[in-house]
Amino acid sequence: MWSILLFVLFGGLAVGCAVAVVAQRNPLYSAISLIGVFVALACLYMTLAAPFIAAVQVIVYAGAIMVLVVFVIMLLNVEEEVRRPVRLQHMIVVGVLLGAALAAETFFMLTASGTTRVGPPAVRDVGSTTSVGTGLFTEYLLPFEATSVLILMALVGAITLARQGRDRAAAGGGGEAPGGAAGGQIIQPGFTAETGQAFARYQIEAGEASAPAERAAGREEEKH
Amino acid sequence: MVPLSFYLALSAVLFTIGVVGVIIKRNAIQMFMCIELMLNAVNLTFVAFSSYFNDVTGQLFVFIVMTVAAAEAAVGLGIILAIFRNRESLDVDEASVLRL
Repeated sequence: MWSILLFVLFGGLAVGCAVAVVAQRNPLYSAISLIGVFVALACLYMTLAAPFIAAVQVIVYAGAIMVLVVFVIMLLNVEEEVRRPVRLQHMIVVGVLLGAALAAETFFMLTASGTTRVGPPAVRDVGSTTSVGTGLFTEYLLPFEATSVLILMALVGAITLARQGRDRAAAGGGGEAPGGAAGGQIIQPGFTAETGQAFARYQIEAGEASAPAERAAGREEEKH
Repeated sequence: MVPLSFYLALSAVLFTIGVVGVIIKRNAIQMFMCIELMLNAVNLTFVAFSSYFNDVTGQLFVFIVMTVAAAEAAVGLGIILAIFRNRESLDVDEASVLRL
């Protein structure tokens, strides 16, 4: 009885937040809804007697990955989606229809297979940290090591992508655009009061402090 | 107790919502988040099967899927940043040709 109630509560929360992820126009609201999905799924893992996976879900997904996503959203200063005419308007209808077809297929498979008759086992003792660790370091050691290689590759890839951008920005004078303004005075890091005043004057002259304006100013400056 | 099929149905619904989001969204970051949603739907299936068949293997694969998701987040957000630097926009319709 209680388990049905918990399932309906957290399952409904997960589905509602998932719909909100798709329905929101502002990426930041989507991200917050996605955190709701992750937390609801962690609660469902607890009802499935998997406390280790639930903790990792909250720490890795809701903690690390979503912080990264929100950080990028803030960094790029993403506005709401502009309400301009979509180039492929009818594709939205097609997408929803395809989604409905996929859901119908999945539910057909669900009823056609025998999984509806599987009941819960008498004892559920596989979710503990001990059993997960034992399995991970004995039988599945090779996938675990392959995972570490994957992480290394991701690390190298992320650094490469970030470095490319910085080199281009340094070559075009884009990244340090605010520094070169204000009467020919080159502003170096380490100055305190003068730097702040010069930067404020530069901002007033440029009209606004948004990132594209700074970048455009940097390019203009580089042309002369 | 809750039957296994309830969890599988919930997972199917979440996965479908993620697919529809990837199809109809035009913001690259929101498409990225819908992909994360699909990965989580699969994780729910893994954990449900693992718990109902009393076999820890499913939870180990959830662990590995999470690692893949973290790697995907690092590289994918790096690519999104590079696209934004080049085009000043996150709209995937404007990045439909693979050149500058």
